[in-house]
Amino acid sequence: MTEEEFQRLCDFLYRRTGMLFGEAKRYYVERRITERMAATGATAFASYFARLRGDVRGEIEQFVNAFTVNETYFYREDHQLQCLTSDLLRERLKVKPRGEAVRIWSVPCSTGEEPYSIAIWLLENWPQVDSHDIEIVGSDIDTGVLEAARAGIYGKRALMRLSPELIERYFEQIDDEHWQVLEDLRGSVRFSSVNLVEAAETRPNGRFDVIFCRNVLIYFDDASRRVAAENLYENLAPGGFICLGHSESMSRISPLFEVRRYADAIVYQRPLEAARG
Amino acid sequence: MADGDKRRVLVIDDASLVRLYYRDALERAGFEVDEALNGLEAFEKLMMHPPALLVVDVNMPRMDGMTFLRLLRRQAGPIGSTPALVTSTEAGVQDMAAARAAGANFYLTKPVAQDTLALYAAMLCGIPA
Amino acid sequence: MPLIRKGDAEPSAPIGADGDVIAALTNGTNDQRWAAARAAGDIPGGVQALGRALATEADARVREAFFTSLVRARSLEAVDAVLPHLRSDDANLRIGALDALRGMAATAAPRLPFLLSDPDADVRLLACEILRDLPSADAVPLLCRLLEREDQVNVCASAVEVLAEIGGPDALPALAACAARFLSEPFLVFSIKAASARIGAQSPGHG
Repeated sequence: MTEEEFQRLCDFLYRRTGMLFGEAKRYYVERRITERMAATGATAFASYFARLRGDVRGEIEQFVNAFTVNETYFYREDHQLQCLTSDLLRERLKVKPRGEAVRIWSVPCSTGEEPYSIAIWLLENWPQVDSHDIEIVGSDIDTGVLEAARAGIYGKRALMRLSPELIERYFEQIDDEHWQVLEDLRGSVRFSSVNLVEAAETRPNGRFDVIFCRNVLIYFDDASRRVAAENLYENLAPGGFICLGHSESMSRISPLFEVRRYADAIVYQRPLEAARG
Repeated sequence: MADGDKRRVLVIDDASLVRLYYRDALERAGFEVDEALNGLEAFEKLMMHPPALLVVDVNMPRMDGMTFLRLLRRQAGPIGSTPALVTSTEAGVQDMAAARAAGANFYLTKPVAQDTLALYAAMLCGIPA
Repeated sequence: MPLIRKGDAEPSAPIGADGDVIAALTNGTNDQRWAAARAAGDIPGGVQALGRALATEADARVREAFFTSLVRARSLEAVDAVLPHLRSDDANLRIGALDALRGMAATAAPRLPFLLSDPDADVRLLACEILRDLPSADAVPLLCRLLEREDQVNVCASAVEVLAEIGGPDALPALAACAARFLSEPFLVFSIKAASARIGAQSPGHG
């Protein structure tokens, strides 16, 4: 890959995703190009780049995959969980009617690590956890992963960021390799099937205080990104927050949200009042 | 403001070659340059590293420069009054007036020459010639 | 345990807008116009009504919903409803129109040759950006043709910026000819040089 081809690729990826690939990442970028060219049968960079630009068969996600943390495990991107308990819930409680449940959405929830992580984190780290009703909903388009999420059975890798105490407290070991989330906790997270691009499927889930929507929007095409963002906006209470994946930005997705910076994370917010336009 | 911050410029333009051209001019003039591709990204960048000056184009996807400026000027604190140099393909008096009304401190018509940019950047950052 | 699991939630927004969706596009609260905007794309006459209502909608978020519904419609009718706003003096409306057209670039393709030769330089400039989202086999010849006859430096610059991403070696002659016509324009010369380098330096195919 020539210097100019690298530049061209970086410009395209920056424009499309907001991700910056500088000289420091060059080795990894070249390696990924080689892997993807082999996987797609491209014989020259130019033809691979055309494929990437056209996002043929989701090639952008395939390429970028190698640079984001895709594996799902408990307490992944915990800086956002920290932000939740340090800042976001506090802000929400300032404006929520007394007694109204705190509602948190994990979408896509995949095999459930994220919604269960949120539950455990709150129980462990939020001093006010006993003073509020908390509803956690996990949703995904893939009914197979939802089945797995409801079952709540995980291997060592998924639990690698959890201390032995946490595992002891919230899981039951069912064999050498597997632990299951305790029934009480499993029973308190609701799972639903949702296609983010279909308002008819997102609306019934109601309004949330915080939505975690990580590593999916950025891979949708233009039109789908817009529709999904509008759906998520509707599912946020005024003043509610949405957290994207670590390398994602609303700047490539939608102007509906305001960016807010906290000590632990940058998040996006639906404005409290009707906008002044 | 510390000396280092006085020299930080955030270039906000969706054209990669424009950003490259401005970066070249500004770095040679001793500035540190950050980039954003639209008004939304600009907010993210300026929250992370508040610049001494914004160079803002008008026509950018998802959030144009005028909308960005109006929202910026509504922010409380020093960030809301960050000097902003607007660049635009429009040369009309009414366009300049609109930019001023949105909160621009200065206005340059594109294509902007490199020495013009460096000169006005220094002026708006309060750096002696 | 404070974690509770309720049955059904309150739906987050009206499942369908009540009453006359088209009338609601220009009446009522922001939330009502928003709901109408989201529903209008799916009803007869909705596309034209969305295009008309854009002219008077002041709220940026509701405007965004108007444009999204037009993108979803993905028809030449929707393209034509958006096009007039490309000429707007209001940057927000103009860029909203551009974003919408880019979201349905393939559908807008038949209009592009006209946009690229529009008497208004601003329209020509913005039209170049729409080409970015078309297959390069279709877009590159149009951009090269523009470079051959365009007299506005900013329009040329817009075309060059897009060619830097999508152009191949067949674009090099048009780029060189344009640079020769605009020797006194340092930014354009610079960007043609940069774009040509990106296009020209291609690693050989193997096999």
